[in-house]
Amino acid sequence: MLNPFVSRLARNGLMALLIACAAVSADAQELPKVRIFATGGTISGYASDRDLQYAYKAGSIPPDKLLADLPEAAKVADLSYEEIAETGSGGINTQILLKLAKQINAWLARPDTAGAVVTHGTATMEETTYFLNLVIHSDKPVVVVGAMRPFTSISRDGPFNLYNAIRVAADPEARKNGVMILLNEEIQAARDVTKTNTERVNTFDTRDLGPIGFADEDRIVFYRRLLYRHTYKSEFDVDNLTDLPKVDICYGYQEGDRACIDGVVAAGAKGVVLDDSSPGNRAAVKDARTKGVVFAQSDRKGSGRVLNSPNDVASGVVTADNLNAQKSRMLLRLALTKTSDPKEIQRMFEEY
Amino acid sequence: MNKVLAFLTCMLPLVYCVSAQAQEIPTAGQPPIVQDQSKLPHVVIVSMGGTIASRAKDRMNLTHYGDGPPVDPKDWLHDLPELQNVARVTTEDMRSKGGDKFGDIARVAHRLNELAKDPTIDGFVVTHGTNTMAEVAFYMNLVVNTDKPIVFVGSQRPWSGISGDGPLNMYDAVRVAADPDAKGLGVLHCMNQNINAARDVTKTSAYRVETFKGLDVGSLGFADPDKVKFYRAPVRKHTTESEFAGTDLKELPPVELFYSYTDAPGYVIDAAVQHGAKGLVIDGYGAGVPSPSQAKAMTRAQAKGVIIVITTRTRGGRVQEVPARAKAHDVNGDNLPPEKARLLLQLALTKTHDWTKIQQYFNTY
Repeated sequence: MLNPFVSRLARNGLMALLIACAAVSADAQELPKVRIFATGGTISGYASDRDLQYAYKAGSIPPDKLLADLPEAAKVADLSYEEIAETGSGGINTQILLKLAKQINAWLARPDTAGAVVTHGTATMEETTYFLNLVIHSDKPVVVVGAMRPFTSISRDGPFNLYNAIRVAADPEARKNGVMILLNEEIQAARDVTKTNTERVNTFDTRDLGPIGFADEDRIVFYRRLLYRHTYKSEFDVDNLTDLPKVDICYGYQEGDRACIDGVVAAGAKGVVLDDSSPGNRAAVKDARTKGVVFAQSDRKGSGRVLNSPNDVASGVVTADNLNAQKSRMLLRLALTKTSDPKEIQRMFEEY
Repeated sequence: MNKVLAFLTCMLPLVYCVSAQAQEIPTAGQPPIVQDQSKLPHVVIVSMGGTIASRAKDRMNLTHYGDGPPVDPKDWLHDLPELQNVARVTTEDMRSKGGDKFGDIARVAHRLNELAKDPTIDGFVVTHGTNTMAEVAFYMNLVVNTDKPIVFVGSQRPWSGISGDGPLNMYDAVRVAADPDAKGLGVLHCMNQNINAARDVTKTSAYRVETFKGLDVGSLGFADPDKVKFYRAPVRKHTTESEFAGTDLKELPPVELFYSYTDAPGYVIDAAVQHGAKGLVIDGYGAGVPSPSQAKAMTRAQAKGVIIVITTRTRGGRVQEVPARAKAHDVNGDNLPPEKARLLLQLALTKTHDWTKIQQYFNTY
């Protein structure tokens, strides 16, 4: 006689098979319309050998191949795709960001669409996601997905991540959550998530606030809703823009001099994010302020808020709350499309 | 310079003297107190005791305190005059005599429901021992019918302890309870400057001050020195949306819980059923799996109408809906720890014995 646990497992497997068979016959016409916006990344990375987990070429597998490799996804959503770029995280630039935002906005503005999925390299995924969180005008789900191991690798995480991203993008309960990142079955909020490990599949983490939900096998579950402004409540709009103001980041460290700030300002930066403090900052900030450059103060620790100090705002340095430097840069760029008044920009850092 | 040093030296014994009762709370540098408090929110501190209400004779005693005089709720107001700048604070002494009984929880739930109707009160702070405070906060989250902030607070070190965390925790909890942004978020928990949701917060360390964490889903916000700030709201039902809101039960149906491990026996489950348990929580291993002996005893219990909820001892991730569990009529405990699943099951059993309806409670609360 089987022990109860084993017989429970056997029944489980049979039931899963039955569900899978039923789903194959579902009519694609009735499924929610989800579009994949491909930018590249490790999720579409190609290596000659399946044990090569780092020596690969990102963005080599086109979206039709990604979907052909994942026939199960066609049971969840009526899928289409657009190829925005074929690059890794490092190749993402302002032109790609603007194109991506405009194309997603156009797609979601159609009344018959359900959601969007973006494939992206993981290294700068968090700032692209936060940028989209500020400029997408819809409350429909937008899910950014990637992989830590290339398409060709053993134990590749990409297919399951993509499958779950499509499930979330097709789920009406995922609306109003802003843009989300999905890897490793965790649904993370654009504003708060960060990449925390160079290699592991559980790299995306939201240190203080945690994920907002999970893409579990039985169902998608949300535990948190967001209290700050994003997507459909955002005041930012890039649909008519062809470029964004230049903003750079200067890292703070012992004996850091004013060269970084002076250098980026000389190169045309309209804003600078100070990620923690260098002793050379004070004098350089004072000089740059005469040219109207706006500063945002973030913190390199990666957890906790930069506390509000009225003196900072008066001196043209806004506090970045608990946004990290790369996300502060995105918000400051968008803020500078509206104003260069530090007080007004401080309001934006408190609301988004 | 010398004059300053001399002044400080002669002040030292004075400071020590003045602060003899709460020697670990500096008396120097108290800010001016607002004279007109009429515009401030009214916060009631309800004391259910706890380490935050305990003293030791020796300030280095952080583990076996209680030999000093207990902290009367009025002592918090005396030691923290700053509270008067945040709120009009009044106190209710609801410390239990016997400790850790459901009767004490029911008494406080009743009182909170009563006080919540008072339009002159804006928020509540409830002190509690940290060991079981998360489940008590969760119970209040289910049964108190108000959108006014209720903030649970405690401390890891006694009120008399060196570098005690109690004073700042108390100050922050009152700030959160007085904050309009804290309304409608359900029962909250504030220690170590983190604001957590009652449903999700769990004690994770026996002695460290950063012990409370929202395991799977993190904090809702922070009580930072510059401001109280919220980023997240709970999705699951609580307080005013709860079907149990206003519940005024003196006792709950008996539910016992059992931990799973290699060779965990079934006879203790049989014994609980013989003693009248109407429900069982099985804190299964991994994805929510009982030992083989437990599984057999569960089937025997179900034959007698006992409802079974499965949680996972991993303390992370949900117990998922799988066909085998549905077939067995086992209820998935979602990602609740067993002590909270137990309270929800006890409340659910006051409404129904239908396992599918009880599963709905676990899916929505």
